Amino acid sequence: MVSSDRLVPAGRSLLLSYRADRMRRLGSLVGQSILLLITSSSILAVLFIFYFIGRDAIPFFQAEGFREFFTSADWYPSGDPPAYGALAIFYGSAMVTVGATLVAVPLGVLAALCLSDILPFSIRQMVKPVIEILAAIPSVAFGFFALVVFAPLLQEHGGRLLAWVGWLVGGPLAVLGVVVLSDLATAGLPEKLRAAGRGAIGLVLAVVAFVGLARLGDFFHGLQIVTGVNALNASIILGIMALPTVVSVSEDALQAVGRELREGSYALGATRAETLVRVVIPAAASGISAAVILGVMRAVGETMVVWMASGNAAHVPEPWYDFLASVRTLTANIAGDMGEADQSLGSSRYHVLFAMALCLLAVSFALNMLSEWAVHRSRKKMRGQ
Amino acid sequence: MRLGTRKLIDRGMTALGIGSIVLLAAALLVFLAPIVVRGLGAFVFRGTIEYRQLTLEKFGRGDVDAVEAEQAEAVEARRPVYEMLSAYKKELADGHESLDEAKKQFRADRKEMRRHEGLADQQRADAQAELDRREAELDRRGEQLAKHEASLVELEELIRELLGPEPGQSVPVLWRDQYGQTRWDRAQVKLDQILNVETWVDQDDPDQPRVRVLVPRADAFEGTTLAPLFPYIENNAEAMLLPRLTFYWRFLTDTSFDAHFFGGIWPEILGTIYLTLGAMLFAVPMGVVAAIYLVEYAREGFLVRVLRTFINTLAGVPSIVFGLFGLAFFISTMHVSPSKSVLAGSMTLAMLILPMVIRASEEAIRAVPATYKEAALSLGASKWWAVLTVILPAALPGVLTGIVISMGRAAGETAPIIFTAAVSVGKPLWPWEALSQPTPALPWNIYNLATEHEAVDEIRHVQYGMVLTLVLLVLLLNAAAIVMRARISKKLRA
Amino acid sequence: MTENTLHIPARKTTLPDRKPAPAAPSRVHVRAEEFSVFYGQNEAVRKVSFEIPAGQVTAIIGPSGCGKSTFLRAINRMNDLIPGCRAAGKLLLDENDVFGPRIDVTALRRRVGMVFQKPNPFPKSVFDNVAYGPRIHGVRGRTRLMDVVQRSLRKAALWDEVKDRLPQNALGLSGGQQQRLCIARAIAVDPEILLMDEPTSALDPQATSRIEDLIGELRGNYTVIAVTHNMQQAARISDFTAFFYEGDLIDFGPTTQLFTNPREKRTEDYITGRFG
Ligand SMILES: Nc1ncnc2c1ncn2[C@@H]1O[C@H](COP(=O)(O)OP(=O)(O)O)[C@@H](O)[C@H]1O
Ligand SMILES: [Mg+2]
Repeated sequence: MVSSDRLVPAGRSLLLSYRADRMRRLGSLVGQSILLLITSSSILAVLFIFYFIGRDAIPFFQAEGFREFFTSADWYPSGDPPAYGALAIFYGSAMVTVGATLVAVPLGVLAALCLSDILPFSIRQMVKPVIEILAAIPSVAFGFFALVVFAPLLQEHGGRLLAWVGWLVGGPLAVLGVVVLSDLATAGLPEKLRAAGRGAIGLVLAVVAFVGLARLGDFFHGLQIVTGVNALNASIILGIMALPTVVSVSEDALQAVGRELREGSYALGATRAETLVRVVIPAAASGISAAVILGVMRAVGETMVVWMASGNAAHVPEPWYDFLASVRTLTANIAGDMGEADQSLGSSRYHVLFAMALCLLAVSFALNMLSEWAVHRSRKKMRGQ
Repeated sequence: MRLGTRKLIDRGMTALGIGSIVLLAAALLVFLAPIVVRGLGAFVFRGTIEYRQLTLEKFGRGDVDAVEAEQAEAVEARRPVYEMLSAYKKELADGHESLDEAKKQFRADRKEMRRHEGLADQQRADAQAELDRREAELDRRGEQLAKHEASLVELEELIRELLGPEPGQSVPVLWRDQYGQTRWDRAQVKLDQILNVETWVDQDDPDQPRVRVLVPRADAFEGTTLAPLFPYIENNAEAMLLPRLTFYWRFLTDTSFDAHFFGGIWPEILGTIYLTLGAMLFAVPMGVVAAIYLVEYAREGFLVRVLRTFINTLAGVPSIVFGLFGLAFFISTMHVSPSKSVLAGSMTLAMLILPMVIRASEEAIRAVPATYKEAALSLGASKWWAVLTVILPAALPGVLTGIVISMGRAAGETAPIIFTAAVSVGKPLWPWEALSQPTPALPWNIYNLATEHEAVDEIRHVQYGMVLTLVLLVLLLNAAAIVMRARISKKLRA
Repeated sequence: MTENTLHIPARKTTLPDRKPAPAAPSRVHVRAEEFSVFYGQNEAVRKVSFEIPAGQVTAIIGPSGCGKSTFLRAINRMNDLIPGCRAAGKLLLDENDVFGPRIDVTALRRRVGMVFQKPNPFPKSVFDNVAYGPRIHGVRGRTRLMDVVQRSLRKAALWDEVKDRLPQNALGLSGGQQQRLCIARAIAVDPEILLMDEPTSALDPQATSRIEDLIGELRGNYTVIAVTHNMQQAARISDFTAFFYEGDLIDFGPTTQLFTNPREKRTEDYITGRFG
């Protein structure tokens, strides 16, 4: 079996000496430990972040307590005496996040549905890069756009813009709603009356909807927008930034719902919309909720866009739902105040920023756990089916 | 429900879906269009003679003879402006002189009148009234003169901003004062300011915002020798500034001067490159090794679950928190540098992109067919050798794709470098200086110039140029990644 | 039942004329004694005992899922890669227990080469594919490597087809060429045993017959153990045949005897195509 003229050196014996065997085991143990150590640097990084942010946050709570920070909206860190009420800033963060979610989630889920179930493959291949590019654009570029292009636009033509959006979104929805409602309302009528009843109810509803839309449009049109850097601006731009995350994660979730499920629904005579709403979306619900959570995380943690676009006014808007008012978020406050606070290292003014960072960290950690749980559940569900 | 209605709902849903996709694409377009169009304005614009003069004198670029010829031409065109100004100044001086004369006369007359004590009451009252009238007249003339003078000072300042200092005057310190408008678009704005005065007028309804009204500046000088200046400037602006199409590609490679009024963005670009490469230097080896461990060595179980949870947590940490952490840990605790430095910034960025690198590498390594590893092992290769010589090379394009995308992310991140690495003005660093010194960087300077600069509006083109450069940099990296990925899938199919 | 029976119905389960097997098996190369392999709780190979002679071609046949691959991959411990897989009993290679405590797995795998079901050349050049093993085992220098590569490719009957394409990517070769390249790659490290797990199941009939011819040529120099679930192939290429069924070794003996005069009823049923 062994060729007469060896070109390859003869193999070693199959059995290792005890020594060599020990060395081999040791080597593999050491090697794996080193790899594990390097991999664990992520654990270390997270622990360090929590420790160092916490270490600098605690002095603040020791000096000022919890009460004012979480319950007062008076933010005068450089006043005399200083006031560290962060409620307005928490509120600003929440407001902008909610706004961004309202923009990103419906659009993102619809786009994901469209990508996974409606568009043909070739168009999908064209849309994918668009989403990738949108995801790749640095946040500061979005912030610049928000500040320099979008804010003046909003300030000068905001009312008209909003009115247009109202008509554009509300119009088709209203038509659909009128048709469906009149159809539902007449379902109980006898066959002969149905067509007439549908026409009459439809007409009434259409008039109501039109008047409603027109008044909404007028209301928007009449709005006075004092400044273009406000919660609305930040919400829209943030929403667009969070879109790619929502789209790609929920598309993955939708794709993971098998063909069989869809075909089963189609075979029962369901339309595509019914299949999507009744079968596909419920099956992908956990995955979609993970997408939403990831989108929310993106919005909560974003700094540059809100810093540049939200106006940085540290007070609760009046009335509380006024998206046209300037607000300040936690991230923007940290970024903006650090410049002044780091001269007074060790003061409450410095530590309060770490306290805010700790809150941010806690929120994103909680959201992360939630999304992991959602992903885990969706995996289990998929496997179960 | 009726079939028709159901179909309508179905179509409505399709329309909504397609609408949202269109909106997505439109959002990208609406964002990119102004950035690209106005960003190109930093590279291609109509430069004036002032620009060419500055380039010649400060950078030593350009044709001396041609610039001098043009300069002579411009000086010729500008001469009437300065002549009219000096004529007007003379007129004002004359006005002062005659006013002084009149005042002297008035004081003499008043003294005279007070001396005539014996006048009748009636006469006295008349004379007093006459004196009062004359005094008021003198005051009015005085006020008018002062107003004209003030207007003149403002006008001269504007003209200096447009055309640069008057020939023969002492050279100011700042570059921006040494030259007039170097860009024709900015020159036109200045020209507008010369020709029209902007005022804000209250509306009848006090709740409504005030309205902007433009008043021709010439109105203030009506009837004076300066009145013809305005039509002259309006009609001869081009002759005075000689705008010409200019390509300033060195915007990318010049350092900036006078707080970004002039020059390019090389320090920012270089700083971004340092920070990005530095971050990759830390993140890539660690990320790839971690991915190898997770895919090839770790047994699925508790440990791996914990590792993954922590990696996901790290990916979810807000970027500003990384910034604070970098400050508190790398700078204040570890003292990797006395204060902000590229090194500290790179390390902070590395932590931010580490999860991205791990995930991308993991995916790429997982995608390598198991049969490669089996073949290598069956030939007597040890596991690490198989990983090194077969699995990693096969996964390399995928790993590189992930790395390149993470690079784009690192290049564009701002929040982590605010407290750890970025300053607004600085010179280009040598690599060894990067260990201990802060640097300007594109993302930070975009923020800084757009919000905190003393003359935000005047350097819009620089801001747009920076944004365009950053966006292009990131998009090029991503395009490279897309191309690489396409080639991988082709290779796998072959 | 398989592609081959579909493509070449002309070939029947008859013993082809070929050079007779060496009169007496020279020595036992691999010996299994009550050898079992488990995947978790599932016993995929159940206490098999038999002796594989050196220098001969041994075929392992049996229906799908009966543990052929599992047994084969135990011989060079490829199963180590599968979490939860363990072995019991003895599997001796030249009197060394393959699963013994101080076995050098890399040395073992070097002596026991393997060819897989689907051709799996590395995404490297033809030359680097064949030179991969020799390089590991200390062959340095372009000329010496070239010698090894050339000899291995000649043995694998591939040299004439690829001698001008050595620097090209191996993935550009045809399926049959790729499989022969994998054989060349396996021979290049001078193994004693060649394990082949359905080496032709992914190939077309023409490529299949070339591989079969090649296996015939390897006989004598190598101990070849080939898994196939194609009886005709087993009959054509092998000197000995082992029949596995649901993890048990049902029958083992010289191929001629097994095919013409099976001892076991189940063997006969399987060979005549009554099940499987
Ligand atoms: N990786 C694995 N994990 C668990 N069970 C396996 C694995 N591979 C094979 N098996 C099981 O072992 C048995 C034998 O498989 P195998 O040896 O691949 O059969 P074949 O004879 O078709 O090659 C089958 O029942 C199969 O389900
Ligand atoms: Mg098998």
